[in-house]
Amino acid sequence: MPVEFAEKTVPPGRGIFKRFKGNIEAIAIGVKYFFDPKRSTLIYPKEYIKLRENYRGFIVLNAKKCINCGSCARICPAAAMKLIRRPYTDPKTGKTRMKLWPVINYNRCIFCGYCVDVCPTEALHHVNYHDVVFDNMEEMDQTLESFQQAPEHPTAKEGIPVRYIIDEEKGLVKVRVEGGEQ
Amino acid sequence: MSPIISDIIKIIIWPPLWQLIVLGLLLPLGVVVFIIWFERKTAARVQRRIGPYHVSPRIAGGLQLVADLMRYMFQEIIIPKTVDVAPFIMAPLIALILSILPVVAMPFTSNASYFPIGMRYSLIVALALITLSPIFVIVAGWASNNKFSLIGGMREAYLITAYELIVMVSFLSASAATGSFDLVKIVEAQAGGKWLGLLNPLALLAALIGVLLSTSGFPFEIPESEHEVVAGAYTEYSGLVYGINMGAAYLKRMVYSILIALVFLGGWRPYTPGPGFVSGYLIPSIVVFIKATILMMIFSFLRAVYGRYRLDQALDIAWKYIFPLAVAGFGLSLALAYLGIY
Repeated sequence: MPVEFAEKTVPPGRGIFKRFKGNIEAIAIGVKYFFDPKRSTLIYPKEYIKLRENYRGFIVLNAKKCINCGSCARICPAAAMKLIRRPYTDPKTGKTRMKLWPVINYNRCIFCGYCVDVCPTEALHHVNYHDVVFDNMEEMDQTLESFQQAPEHPTAKEGIPVRYIIDEEKGLVKVRVEGGEQ
Repeated sequence: MSPIISDIIKIIIWPPLWQLIVLGLLLPLGVVVFIIWFERKTAARVQRRIGPYHVSPRIAGGLQLVADLMRYMFQEIIIPKTVDVAPFIMAPLIALILSILPVVAMPFTSNASYFPIGMRYSLIVALALITLSPIFVIVAGWASNNKFSLIGGMREAYLITAYELIVMVSFLSASAATGSFDLVKIVEAQAGGKWLGLLNPLALLAALIGVLLSTSGFPFEIPESEHEVVAGAYTEYSGLVYGINMGAAYLKRMVYSILIALVFLGGWRPYTPGPGFVSGYLIPSIVVFIKATILMMIFSFLRAVYGRYRLDQALDIAWKYIFPLAVAGFGLSLALAYLGIY
């Protein structure tokens, strides 16, 4: 099939009066916004966005549900989840033996959530925040104990939780929502 | 008072020195710091942001500029191996001096004992001194030995061809109307509310757009466009020398604003200068500075509204629309002179 050439036409330029009018209109809109500003900036440490419950934030292990299958470590695309050997005492029989437990290294984690999806007993779950401070790199490599606790969320202590909604007249508006510790 | 102190005071308020150092450098620098803050806040206001905030929330981030200035002052000045060192260092300094030198030719009062340099052709001298500094922008771009700097310098050279004639014709229309090249006579002719900018808005508009083109103000921020050439001719600069470059551009715009305030907006004219230093020199210069600052605020407001024209579009606009506008303003001035308004 032969290629059909489309002739490119240059649209006619606007006249001088239309150009002048366009400039005046642009400046008028700027003046209008200057005297009636509608701001939508998030003042971050004082306000923070309250994320939904399904948000893929940091990952927490519930060791009581874990069956030590190792699926999370196998599916992890970034090799962030690894298995470590720790003793475990069975409450029914009282016997102690070594088992493989998952721990995560947040230096490598990409927060894809595959480990949470693949977990057969829902022993892993996400928390709905991502702004967490670590003092150094060693702290980001979690131990079995720290992996079982949700990490501390410093902005929730200081800030006001907000959520953006789209208003028909005002555009993007911040609304305060419930939650947070303050 | 001991004679030494009174001599020192006499030297400080000696008009040429006072005009160059205080009215040409220190007061414009204060205005420039305010204008940069205003520009950032205005752009943020119009574009639904807040702007500088965290350094001092109570005075709307006013100390942010002082913090930036301190950072520029104590930053290391890096001189790359490949640059031509002497022009690389000298070009911004000479550009800064040439940016503020036109102030010496501008009278801020009608009191003849406080003229910096009394002359009959002060408008022409001021315009001639203003047009010298772009050469050193091109020199800086050439000496940097960098493709972005070279392209930025060449863009500046292209733009000179666009704005030089517009600025000249629109400012000289004041001479056509009033029949004088003396800025004092031009200002005195506008007494009683006969501001040239009100009677001849075409020349004022052409002068405003010419100044924006000349100082790379926002619709025409072509030589330093960040997205195309990193910082134009100033790409290789760092630290205080870069600050001098940026400051020179703003000071040049301030000097142009003072000239527009004198030529088109009546200068010191609501106020009549009297004898003595305060009423004859200080208050009229403050009146002129307030007018110039309002002009600077209008210039910086355009940053919030406009995008950037391409180089060919800017040249197209300048030659096809603004230059005829300037010539029309010149004709209107001749008509005003013919009707005997001045």
